[in-house]
Amino acid sequence: MSKDFSVHVEHVTRVEGHGNIILDVKNSKIEKLQWNIVEAPRFFEAMLRGQQYNELRPITSRICGICSIGHSLASLKATEDALGINITHQTATLRRLAIHAENMQSHILHIGYLVAPDLVGAGSVFSMLGKHTDTVLKIVKLHRLANEMSDLICGRTIHPIRLIVGGFSMQPTEKQLTELKKRLLEALELTKELAPIIQSVSGALPSFTRETEYIGLQSDDEYALYHGDIASTDTGRHLKYREYKEVMQEYLVPQSTAKYAKHARDSYMVGALARFNLNSKQLHPVAQEVADLFKLKAINYNPFMNTIAQLVEFTHSIQDSIYLIDSLVDQGIKQEKPIKPTKKQGRGVGIVEVPRGILVHDYTLNSQGYCTKANCIIPTNQNHANIQKDMEKLVPEIINKPPNEIELILEMLVRAYDPCISCSTHYLDVSFK
Amino acid sequence: MRKKVGIIGLGNPLRCDDGIGILLLQYLKKNEKVLSQTIDFVDGGTSGMNLLHLIEDYDIIFLLDAVDFKGQPGDMKKFTIDEIKNQKLSLSLSTHEPGFLSVIMFLKGLDKIPKNLLIFGIQPKDMSYGMELSKELQGVLPKLQKQILKEIQSLI
Repeated sequence: MSKDFSVHVEHVTRVEGHGNIILDVKNSKIEKLQWNIVEAPRFFEAMLRGQQYNELRPITSRICGICSIGHSLASLKATEDALGINITHQTATLRRLAIHAENMQSHILHIGYLVAPDLVGAGSVFSMLGKHTDTVLKIVKLHRLANEMSDLICGRTIHPIRLIVGGFSMQPTEKQLTELKKRLLEALELTKELAPIIQSVSGALPSFTRETEYIGLQSDDEYALYHGDIASTDTGRHLKYREYKEVMQEYLVPQSTAKYAKHARDSYMVGALARFNLNSKQLHPVAQEVADLFKLKAINYNPFMNTIAQLVEFTHSIQDSIYLIDSLVDQGIKQEKPIKPTKKQGRGVGIVEVPRGILVHDYTLNSQGYCTKANCIIPTNQNHANIQKDMEKLVPEIINKPPNEIELILEMLVRAYDPCISCSTHYLDVSFK
Repeated sequence: MRKKVGIIGLGNPLRCDDGIGILLLQYLKKNEKVLSQTIDFVDGGTSGMNLLHLIEDYDIIFLLDAVDFKGQPGDMKKFTIDEIKNQKLSLSLSTHEPGFLSVIMFLKGLDKIPKNLLIFGIQPKDMSYGMELSKELQGVLPKLQKQILKEIQSLI
């Protein structure tokens, strides 16, 4: 029997940034299928022009409320690259802790509050309370620790202030770090309890695969988050970081006001699954155990497993933070002053891994240290084309399901990527009783 | 025991009038000596569910934010959560979406909502990209700063 139906998830938020899923089927044939981004072009690059180098980090930390540490670090690395600043080993270690704090914050938020409701068949995290309160409380506890870790290292839970050009405005004390380590050890045990709970409901994740390219940072020394070379599962490592545009080829498509990106294929994916696929051998042991629990092995081509890769990374970030704290305490925390620029002029590129994937900031500074040109490539834009291509393969495979099930699966697919589509404002829109 | 008081500014200074909450927060922090007790000044930005633990930590919260209550740009309205009609909660496709009300509803579910939470809402006009307030909000900003400082002073 031929089938006509439409699935339109027109997700109208209060402001212009939102993503729509549009599917029209006639006589069982797909007439239209679009992942449609309705977002005003972001003017952040224009805002950076004319700003003095010290102002670039505070401005860019406001680009995204969830990834403000990541934007801060990409911004600092670009600025320091332009100004010939070589940060100290202690600063690099503290920045690695900062990036772990953000990874933990964002991943547990995504796993616990956005994806877990799909896995247990609840409409939202609000509906999970009651039947699944114990699990929610575990998630809330882990989320709290990640927030407090961010507070300790960066001076704030959100929008960091201690991360500055050349170093830190203030370092945590040995006592504070030792206390944090104690709590991280507790969190590791709690994560070991949470992982089997998530695993017991993970059968709800669709078993879908589509071969694609995965891009992320890679390093010989560690599971790369703060530093590394750009790497691809298709083409290997690219050593010239300033030529990142050879890998991240952005382009415009009619259905989206946000840019798309491609490299060796029509699309590529960035984020936790991409990093896992590139670097899983460098995970710490408990993180590896969590991956084994879910039978997650590189290369995994199921985008829904991105959430599981996040849980693996969450565990890795806890273990790596413990290791980093030990090394800081062993060497003794020094109250270091920020390193001064050796020049005022130049071009600098900063690349880091943020929770949703690889992020690039590229600045050109003039002889007075003012920004004359800026380019930011955000992870979400790099994933849009991959979401579209996933939908094009997925829908024919599920077309015989009822439209409401198709709608849920497509929503779950988008949720797996957790796109940054509407975080740049959050004013309240209210009516009164 | 002294109650723990937090003043939380929300919004994004890169989105014109959406940054009003942060500007008001910065003014209050500069004038913290005028306020009689120890207060935490919290820049909540646009961090959605990451606000969860900031809110549950306080006995008394004053929240500063741009609020569309269909008033004139620059109008200020003071209200509590109980005065708001049920809103559609947005936690659907992305963790970037949930706003303050979703956080509050979640805390209600966990029975962790602060008993004293007062919102100072400022009607915005322009929410486009830019680092300056609209002329209307620039015009009323000094008056709003003094008025809110005085009101918080009288309430703690």
